[in-house]
Amino acid sequence: MIWAKEETCTRAEMEEIQLARLKEQVTWAYEKVAPYRSKMEEARLRPEHIKSLADLKNLPFTVKKDFRDHYPYGLFAVPVDDMVRIHASSGTTGKPTVVGYTKEDMANWTETVTRVAALGGATSHDIAQICFGYGMFTGALGLHYGLENLGAAVAPTSSGNTEKQLMYMKDFGTTLLVATPSYALHMGEVARKMGLDPQKDLKVKIGLFGGEGMTEPMRQEMYKLWGDDFKATQNYGMSELNGPGLSGECLELCGMHIHEDHFIPEVINPETGEVLPAGEKGELVITCLTKKGLPMIRYRTRDITRLFYEPCKCGRTTCRMENLSGRSDDMLIIRGVNVFPTQIEEVLLRIPEIGPHYEIIVERINHLDTMSIKVELVDESQLESYGQLNDLAKKVRGNLKSVLGLDADIKLVAPGTLKRFEGKAKRVTDLRKELGLNC
Amino acid sequence: MVKQLSVFVENEVGSLAKVTRVLRENNISIRAIASFDSPEFGILRLMVDKTGEAKRVLTENGFIVKLTDVVAIELVDKPGELDRVMWILADARLEINYIYSFVLRGQSEPLMLMNLDRMEEAEKVLMENGVMVTEKLTQE
Ligand SMILES: [Zn+2]
Repeated sequence: MIWAKEETCTRAEMEEIQLARLKEQVTWAYEKVAPYRSKMEEARLRPEHIKSLADLKNLPFTVKKDFRDHYPYGLFAVPVDDMVRIHASSGTTGKPTVVGYTKEDMANWTETVTRVAALGGATSHDIAQICFGYGMFTGALGLHYGLENLGAAVAPTSSGNTEKQLMYMKDFGTTLLVATPSYALHMGEVARKMGLDPQKDLKVKIGLFGGEGMTEPMRQEMYKLWGDDFKATQNYGMSELNGPGLSGECLELCGMHIHEDHFIPEVINPETGEVLPAGEKGELVITCLTKKGLPMIRYRTRDITRLFYEPCKCGRTTCRMENLSGRSDDMLIIRGVNVFPTQIEEVLLRIPEIGPHYEIIVERINHLDTMSIKVELVDESQLESYGQLNDLAKKVRGNLKSVLGLDADIKLVAPGTLKRFEGKAKRVTDLRKELGLNC
Repeated sequence: MVKQLSVFVENEVGSLAKVTRVLRENNISIRAIASFDSPEFGILRLMVDKTGEAKRVLTENGFIVKLTDVVAIELVDKPGELDRVMWILADARLEINYIYSFVLRGQSEPLMLMNLDRMEEAEKVLMENGVMVTEKLTQE
């Protein structure tokens, strides 16, 4: 079901909505938010300089640091008294990112999340269980409001206590699950351990996943655990841009539809800031068109993707963003080629003879960048002959080459020998940087 | 055919010593050992007195170990004997992947262990040509 008429309008109609809202939004931010005004003044820009959508590229970027510099309310366009909700996300360093929503913002946020739920196959008949942690994180309440608005019955079970979650799931007859993809996989495994067959004993047929990226191998695991007819889609958002609702996959699984009447996407070269043509890979930049409490103009997401504007088989005409292929902060440039560790991870996950852990070392040997990757064997199956091991290393190298266009040295190591990480994994060692030679 | 242990080892200082220490600590005696030179990683082939137990203790210590088959033959210790065996296999178009040898304590005849792609066929043709193929090395 397509929730909103804006999802199927023509490009010209969409651009008309976008331009009107962009002008209004830029004027609003300029008048109400001091940091926006000073950035625009520095760039010798005034709101009336925005005459077409093409002028968007002249506006200064907004970055995560702006939130820290103006903590807590410095980017708000209205007094906190006019806000009806405040969320915060804690970063790994420094002060949390604080976001506020007016009543109107809440309605727009709810509207876009409702579309995401509908994109993923949800209807008013669903019984939805939200297994995201509630609290300051926007994911849980975002989906909660969206699903309620759709007419589904929402059970806010929050995160933790997997066995109890499964009990509710079984007893309530839950049909829709909201979780991170890794938690959904974990739940499926725990269900099996408890003697439940998720495909027979549970009624869950829809998974709306977010909070972290879902790779294709994870999606295949999802089908194995929850059944071939399971609708596993992912959606994308971040608290700076409301939270969930920015975009979501439709059932055609060919990228995440962006709600363009609320958000204008751009993709830029993360090094130069230059806007890239559709279809090219770079950092996603989002301008919010309807956020009144906390306007966001050209916000750099640090996430890497591509944009596609061809109408989708699902009937929607909105722009689609490819599933994320990494963070611009993690990007490596090797012999002039942009490489994201997640691309490497995706290749490795598809090779069953090796484990999911890896270590990448980039160094400069004789003025040439070289990349070597250590991967773990999973078991003894490859020990029949040296040739078999060698063929495996060749296969890993070949698969990486076809995805990255680069040769990597593959070193097979014994299972359990690579470092394990509890939190954020540090799998890349760039010796070029550490030697101060990255010039 | 008899079972040998194939152990994955990385090509670095002390990697073989880590394997032999585990065997020593578990009182397992090595009958024969072979490893081949390779730049990155290798497979250590071992014939031990207690094969099953060796696999268990090595696995418990984090090694990956596969039990693989080899053809074991007893040679008569006289010049030209190995040559005769090699020609039997060559005439039968059987390709040898690798080969290593050892002598059991208190016994004068050397034993050859070899791995081929078609081992059952190799055993058959060797026996037909009067070569002593043995099935038990590890039980003594
Ligand atoms: Zn679609």
